[in-house]
Formats: sequence, structure tokens, C-alpha cells
Amino acid sequence: MTDSTLLKTRLQAVSNLDFSPSDTVQSAEQISRPSLSYWQDAWIRLKKNTRALVSLYIVIGLALFTLAGPILWQVDPALQDLNQLSQAPSLPKQAIFVEEHTRWEGIVLENFPAEPEAFLDVLPAPTNLRTAETATTQAVRIAWDPVVGAGGYAVYRNQHLPESINDLGLPLGTKLAGNEVSYEDRLNVEGRDYYYSIVSTDGYDESDTYITLKVTPDLAITKTEALSRGLITEESIVANGETIDLEFHPFGTDYLGRDMLARLMEGARVSLFIGIVAPFLYVMFGIFYGGFAGYFGGNLDAILMRFADFVVALPFLLFMILFKIAFGIGPGESGVLPMLIALVLLGWPATARLVRGQVLQIRTQGYIEAARLLGAKDHYLIIRHIIPNTMGVILVTLTFAVPAAIFTEAFLSFIGMGVAPPTPSWGSMCNEGVKTMLSHPHELFFPALFISTTVLAFNLLGDGLTEALDSRMRSRE
Amino acid sequence: MLAYTFKRLLAGVVTVWFIATATFIAMHSVPGDPLMNDKAVTAEIRANLEKKYGLDKSGPEQYLIFMSNMLRGDFGISFTQQNRKVNDIIRDHFPVSATLGLLAVFFAAIGGIVWGALTAIYRNRLPDIIIMFLVILGISVPSFVFAALGQLSLVKINQLLGSSVIPVAGWGTFGHMLVPSLVLGLGTMALLTRLMRSSMLEVVNEDYIKTAKAKGLSPIRIFFKHQLRNAILPVLTVLGPQIAAITTGGFVVELVFAIPGLGRYFVQAVQQLDYTVIMGTTVFYGAFLVFMVILVDIIYGFVDPRVRLQ
Amino acid sequence: MTDSILEVTDLSVEFATYGGRVKAVRGVSFDVKAGETLAIVGESGCGKSVTVQSLMGIIPMPPGEITGGVAKLNGKDILGLTSKEANEFRGVKIGMIFQDPMTSLNPTMTIGDQIAETLMVHRGMGKKDAFDRAVELLDKTKISEAAKRAKQYPFEFSGGMLQRAMIAQSLACNPSLLIADEPTTALDVTIQAQILELMSELQRTENMSIILITHDLAVVARMADRVAVMYAGQIVESGTVDEIFYESAHPYTLGLRAAMPSNKTTREKKLTPILGSPPDLFHPPTGCGYFARCPYAMKSCEKMLPPECLLTAESNHQSRCWLQHPDAPEVQELFQPARTQEEAPDAG
Repeated sequence: MTDSTLLKTRLQAVSNLDFSPSDTVQSAEQISRPSLSYWQDAWIRLKKNTRALVSLYIVIGLALFTLAGPILWQVDPALQDLNQLSQAPSLPKQAIFVEEHTRWEGIVLENFPAEPEAFLDVLPAPTNLRTAETATTQAVRIAWDPVVGAGGYAVYRNQHLPESINDLGLPLGTKLAGNEVSYEDRLNVEGRDYYYSIVSTDGYDESDTYITLKVTPDLAITKTEALSRGLITEESIVANGETIDLEFHPFGTDYLGRDMLARLMEGARVSLFIGIVAPFLYVMFGIFYGGFAGYFGGNLDAILMRFADFVVALPFLLFMILFKIAFGIGPGESGVLPMLIALVLLGWPATARLVRGQVLQIRTQGYIEAARLLGAKDHYLIIRHIIPNTMGVILVTLTFAVPAAIFTEAFLSFIGMGVAPPTPSWGSMCNEGVKTMLSHPHELFFPALFISTTVLAFNLLGDGLTEALDSRMRSRE
Repeated sequence: MLAYTFKRLLAGVVTVWFIATATFIAMHSVPGDPLMNDKAVTAEIRANLEKKYGLDKSGPEQYLIFMSNMLRGDFGISFTQQNRKVNDIIRDHFPVSATLGLLAVFFAAIGGIVWGALTAIYRNRLPDIIIMFLVILGISVPSFVFAALGQLSLVKINQLLGSSVIPVAGWGTFGHMLVPSLVLGLGTMALLTRLMRSSMLEVVNEDYIKTAKAKGLSPIRIFFKHQLRNAILPVLTVLGPQIAAITTGGFVVELVFAIPGLGRYFVQAVQQLDYTVIMGTTVFYGAFLVFMVILVDIIYGFVDPRVRLQ
Repeated sequence: MTDSILEVTDLSVEFATYGGRVKAVRGVSFDVKAGETLAIVGESGCGKSVTVQSLMGIIPMPPGEITGGVAKLNGKDILGLTSKEANEFRGVKIGMIFQDPMTSLNPTMTIGDQIAETLMVHRGMGKKDAFDRAVELLDKTKISEAAKRAKQYPFEFSGGMLQRAMIAQSLACNPSLLIADEPTTALDVTIQAQILELMSELQRTENMSIILITHDLAVVARMADRVAVMYAGQIVESGTVDEIFYESAHPYTLGLRAAMPSNKTTREKKLTPILGSPPDLFHPPTGCGYFARCPYAMKSCEKMLPPECLLTAESNHQSRCWLQHPDAPEVQELFQPARTQEEAPDAG
């Protein structure tokens, strides 16, 4: 080196050196980390993984939702609230008491001809379209002024402001006389905005013009209805015009007016029951089968695993459907059990293969040989060495099997091959929701959200467990 | 390689036999039979019908007849659709399901490889984070939700453009196929993206990438000639089983988009206990999947010299 | 020193990891002269591989980072170049072979194609010419049936053959320097000897320099002209092979020698391991890196890092140890030319 000077000159420049032997304790062989068991270490690593930890909380939350939810939210999932069909999620609503519905004669003008006296080329739209009385969900009564030359009127209802004559919506009905100038609508009236349109007719054809009225019916309830739904008791005295709190549906209602939250809880029981019990059963069976094949090896192993190969080759969904049908659903049964059996019958080979591979690998390890030489018996080896060493892989398999089973259930229920109605499951709720997807998206959204969240949580938890339990990853950090 | 192919094909044939037998047993243990739907049937007509369809014979006899017919490639006549041969049903509707499924596999494979490679290049940067978020979504959201959303967005797009640019449902043109196959492939695409990403990241740390750098190759050449090729291989191995998953997953998409595929016929046949259609479609589907998996494995062998030459 | 083809001065490399920044290389200087073999010796994790890999620009960045120093190849700076600039010397002027030949070649490309690739990229040769040249190179590295072998894939080769193929690949563009990063560690002893012989032979015929990274002193004794001993990211001693073996001037070198079997090793004279493990390079010691394991550690060693100094005016023998101070106590077996005999220390 060009800049290196001779040792003597350079080193001598340093003064204050102490050449006495160092008395610092030289513990080069110290152990820097405390000893941890496999599971302690895995738990610590899992806790560091935020995503996995959040997933774990979500899973716990779902368990509470399913088990404790129905205690807190005591609403019958089968009860239909006909006042609030396909209701979007909202705050609690109130309704006013009204008289029992009585027949409405309507408005028939005496001094106006029922039949047109002359046919006009252009028939104008009626004028002065108005509500005849306060519109309620019991009935909407509208009236309009007659049109000269009209032989009748057609009444339409839409949920948005019509853009043209072709966009008037539901044809509610027709009046067949020019002097019948009112209409009563009792067709599933909900507490939302409606646009009523009237088109004059000459008795045969409709004219090209129309008049539209926006009506927002008040929520109304009769005493009989309130009684039948348990909102009031026989003894309570209510006056017309008084308000009463209607049933609260925080997640809205479905197309039959059933409470979504209660149904989601009930559905969670079905979905999570199948999603957790089925994987648990088939993983158990797989462990037994694979462990047996792997431990004893030889021809037995070959035959057992060949059979497992065949089962894997079965087209999964086709056989799920076949088996489910084969086990039959009696009247009034939910079909949960056949689905469970079908899942177990088709699900086990993956675990069996995995466990067999693990066992084959562990069987040849030195510590097994050592234990055997020390006189350990088969059952001791299996309980003390083989099972603990395969636990990690099995746990991970189980975690990933849960979302797969939930998906399968949802999938089958969605195509109408799953649990039988009226039993709700998240999949069958999606199936019902998808039909009204355009008008009432919440009926699809909530069950889909629950499926996705559950699957997501179990997937992330599985990832976290894989990382925490994988001994290769330990040395990597 | 030839011996290997032969062995795989032989195993495939045995598997198909197993599938056929399992289907036969499962179906015959279903309570009821295909004739119970016709309520007006008198005992006499019923006996005649049973004779016509061979239902009066014992189980093993029916099995033998079915097997020998199947070997001749004849799946019989449908119970519920008068005089329609099962072979015809398969011939008419299977190509639809297969086209949909293979197109979905194609989208999934291309998408998975491209996205996976991108996430590996932009590791831990914004594109990676965004793609991986979408991947988790893709894995966690059931396919029928995607199908519903896909259809919904088609409706909206058509509304916006004021004309039916892409058909919302039905079958026939490429426009009909595009969205359903994308939807169908989405889950697999997410899975493959994940796999490709970890595969890429593993390959980056391989010694031969270091060698390639030390040889003075440009990063682009290293990426394409050394990294990508080696990273794709493990992704290809899962493609076989994924084809199976996708083709059966097609049921939902066929349902939502009203596509006249085989899946709908199967569901319908199961509900009506149409023995011949169930047997025919299951065995055919099963055989198709078994041989697709074998095909993918053999193709894989040609791509990976380590497999090809052993 | 004008004939140095590679001059490295004060090279420092750090890695950002989960646990913090690892100071893997801490101020390393050395030079390589034309036609000579420089061996860099040290135990695992001492930074020898990182040193040469950072020269080649093949450490992953991030997490790796060259935090200081200069490296000149034929007078031209080679640190901190873009990959395009670096590719003007990588594979052309410097060839490199690695520890594990089994994993160092692309498993899905034929051997011939991989060698030809270098020629096509750097020499602009056509595919056919490059492949023919690759066969010649394989022949040169004594691979029998080279033409047939060139069409085969790495998994069809044995370890020794792969290392020959690696050498053929690194020699493709007639580099003036070959960096061999533990080239024989993964091989059988008999194959090791063949590979080393091949390397010395090619060094003579191709007239190139070699940087040989190893932890095997037997390989050093056989191959090297000069030796640099690395410990905890620093070069603690460097000199000719004779100086290192017969006039060891650092306790670590002494320790390495004591741990090496020789024909003098008998039942009575056992091998002596170096106790303990290297320091934590997340928090490298302020003093001498070897302090915690040194049997001669002194109070000053803990706090103050000894400078790197020439031992005698005539030679290029350097050491980094306070025991080389004129006032330091005498240590048997250690080469201490500067120690002032008249001020011999007391035993306490």
C-alpha cells in the first residue's frame, strides 16, 4: 500500500497503551437467546404478524357472532315483516296507526260522460293529478281531473321519475270509463318514493302524453297487524294517528321481509358448522389413513395410496352433488348432514397424502432410529415423535381447509344444491340475493361480505401459521 | 418419456373406470328412480318403461350393460328429454363448457404469470401492494359474487353507452365469452399470481442468477432468459388440477350468464334423477379432466428438461 | 505496484436487515498483480465472499450497500456503476466461479448455450460460432466428449464436471482476472485436486490473475502467491504465502494454523480449535474484532482498533495487531519484528 508507513513509526505514534492482559470476561460461547419450545416460538412469531393476528380476532368475532349473536338479537329469522319487504339497512322506523282498510268507492263524476262523445285525434293527458287522502303504506289513493274525449285511463307506478312514455313502470291497472278519475294502489306499497303516471285512453288505445305525480307514502299500520306481529298487546289502547316503533332491521330485510341480521346469524351457524366440522372430520380421517399407510409402508401403503389417488381424481363438485342427493333429504330436513358426509367422503385424500409424506420422511430420521434403538415401542414413537412433528403441517392444512369447505357450501347452496330452504346459509342467501341484485343490492352484499370476510380471515391465518410454524423461515430472519 | 406417457394414460383409463363405477353406485343409492316423476304412469306402463330402460334387471346386470355400452362410446338415451341421446347432449353442450373453461384457464395463466412477475419486480412497492391486495380479494370472494358483479357492470356499461356493446347473457360470439371466462378465471388467476410471486422471489435468490450477473448479462436478458423461465415451471405444475377446478366452477357462471353449457344439464339431470344423463356427463367430464391433467403433465415434461430426460 | 490489475482501497459494505445494519465488510484494502494468485482466507461469515461480490456488483442492492472505498480495475473505477457500465468488465475482464456448481448454472439451459450466451453478449458472435467456441472451451477444461456434453443440461453433469463447465464459462472472454469464490468447497477431495490443478494450468496458459476465496489453508498453501487473512469484515494480516505460514504476525492466523491438520499432527499434538464465535457485526466492536477470542488480549485491544501496518521495510507483510507495537509483550510463535528486545516485558 502506498500510504502505509512502516510499523514502527506508525504504531509508536499511538500512546497511552495498556499492554497488561485484559481482564474482561471472555464469554464467547454465551447463549444469546432463551430456549423456547416449538409452540412458544410459533406463538411469538404469530403475534408479530399483524395480518394473522387481525384474522384471528375476526375468527373469534365470527364465533361470537354465531354463538352469542342470537342471544343478543332475539329476532325470529323466519318471521316475515310484510310492511318492510326488501328493506335496505336503515335506522328504526315508526309507523302511524290507521283505521282498518275499508273499501273505497273511488270518484265517479256524474256530470261527465263515461263514453267519449267524439274520438279526438290527440288525446291530452289528465291534469291536476293529486292524492285523494294522505298516502300511507296501507293504501295510496290518487285522483285526477277528467279529460274530454277520454274513454278511460291507465295507471302506472315507477320507482324513478319516468324519462319517456316507455318508462312509466308497472302498469297498475286501467279505468274503463272517462268519468272514473281515481285509483287506489295497495300493491306492496312501501315507505319510499313512487312516481304515479296517468295516461288517457279512448277506451282502446293509450295516448302519447302522460302526467306524473311523486308520492311518498307514510308508514302505516293497523291495529290487527300490530297485534299479529306482537308490537302491541290486546290490552293496549291506541288511537289512530298515534305512532309506534316498527321492528328494527339494522341489516335490512330480504324479499320475504325476514330480518337479514337474524338470518345471517342463523346462516352463520350452518355455514360455519359445515365449514369447520367437515374439515375437522376429514382431516382427522386423513391423518389416520395417511399415518397408517405411511407408518406401515410396503404393499399396504401402495394399495391405500392408490385408492386415495382415485378419490382425488373424482370431479369434486359433480360428486358433491351426486353424493348429497344420494344421501337424500327428507321433507323438513335442512340437508346439512348429507353435505357434511359428502364433504368428508371427498375431502380426506389431500390430508392423507400430506400426512403420509410427513410420516415417511420422519420415519427415516435419526432421532426415530435412536429412539427405536433405545427400545421405544411403536405407539410411543407415534405419540411422542411422529404426531408432534406433523402437528404443524396438519394445523396449517386444517386452517386452509376451512375456507375451502365454506366456499363449497356456498357454491352448492348458490346453485340450489345445498341446504334446503327455508334453512338459511350464507350461500343460499346469496342465491336469493342475486335475483334482486339490481334493485336491492344489500340482499346479496351482506351474505357475500360474510363469506368473503370469513374466507379471508382463515386464509390469512393460514398464511400466518405457515410462516410461524415453518422452521425454514426461522433461520431466514 | 414414452414409457411414462403410456403409464400415465393407463392409469388414466383405470381412473375413468373408477369414476364410472363410483357414479353408478352413488346414483343407484339415491332414493327413487327416474320414472317416479311421471305421476300418471300406471303399473303396466311403468313395467314397460322399466323394461325399455333396463331398470327391471338387477344392479350388477345394469352395471355390466352400462359398462359395455360405455366402452362402445354409447351413453344411452335421456329419461326426461324424450328420444334425445346423451351423446348428442354432450356433443351439443360440452364444447360450450370446454371453450368457457379453457378460455378461463388461458386468462388465468397469462394473468397469473404477468401479475406475479410484476409483483416480484416491484417487490414491496406500490404496484406489488395493490396487486397483492387484489389477489387476496380474488381468493376470498366467491365466484358467484364475481359473476353477479360482472353481469351488473355489463348492464351498467351498456346503459352508459346506450347500446348493447357486450351482451349481458347468452352464448355465441367472443363478446359473450369474454366476461364469463374472465370471471371464471379470476380465482385461479389470483392463486397463480401468488404462486408466481413466491416462485419469482425464490428464483431471484438462486445462485445461477448471480452467475448470470457475473457473466455480464443485461438485467432484461437475465429476467427473461434465466429468471422467468425457471419461475414459471412450478406454476405450470398446478395448472392441471386448476383446469379441473375451473371447468366445474363453470356451473355458476353458466347459471348466472345463461350459457348453454353442460353444467346446467347436469344440475337439471340430478334433480330429475335422469340416470343416463348423469352417468354420461359425469364419466365424460371425469375423463376429460383426468386426461387434461395428464396432458398438462406431459407438456410440462417438455418444458422442463429435468423431467423430460428422466 | 504499477503492475497491479486490481486495487481495492478501504472497501466497506453494509446490509440492511430486520435486525439492523450488518457491517459485513469494514474497510478492506488489497491489490492483485498480473499473473499472481491472491488467496483471501477466513471463516464463514467473515466477509470474504461479500468483498468480491460487491466488486462484481452482484450483491443484492438493497439490502446491500457499498458505504465506502474505491476499487480500480486497470486504473478504472468499478464501484457504483450502472449495470450497463459494469457489464463492460463483468464476464469480459473478470470471470467468476462460485462455491456450489450444482446450483450456479441455470437448470433449464444447456451447458453449451450458457457458455455461448456470454460470447454472444460480449463478443457479438452468432449462435453457431458461439456454440462451437463453447465446445472448444469445454474441451480446454478437460471435459471429454465436449461436443456431446455441451448439449446436455446441468443435472446431467457431476459436481466436478459442472465446476469445469463454470470455469469454461468464466474463461469465455479471456478475462485477465478470475475470481473463484470457494471453488472446491462443495466437491470431493479428489475432485478438488483436479479442479485446483486445472485452475493453475489455465492460469499459466491464459496468463491471468486469480482471487481465490477459501477457508481451506491447504488450498491456500497449494495455490496462492499472496494471502490476505480476513476476520470480522477486516483484513487482519496479509503477505506472501511463506510469510503467512512461517512468520504469522496475527494471533488469528496462528489460531487458524493450529486448527489445520499437518503431517506433524499426531496423537500427542492435537488440533486446537479457536474457541467462541465471531463478533456480532450488527454492533461491531470498537476495538480489535478478535479481542473476545484472542488468548493474548490486552486491555487496549478492547477499545482501540490497531491500524494496518507494514511489518518490515523490505516486504509487503502487513498485520493489524497491537502485539506488533514495539512495547508489546512477547508472544512465542508470533512474528514480532518491531518488538524492542531491550524493553522485554515482565510476566505479570
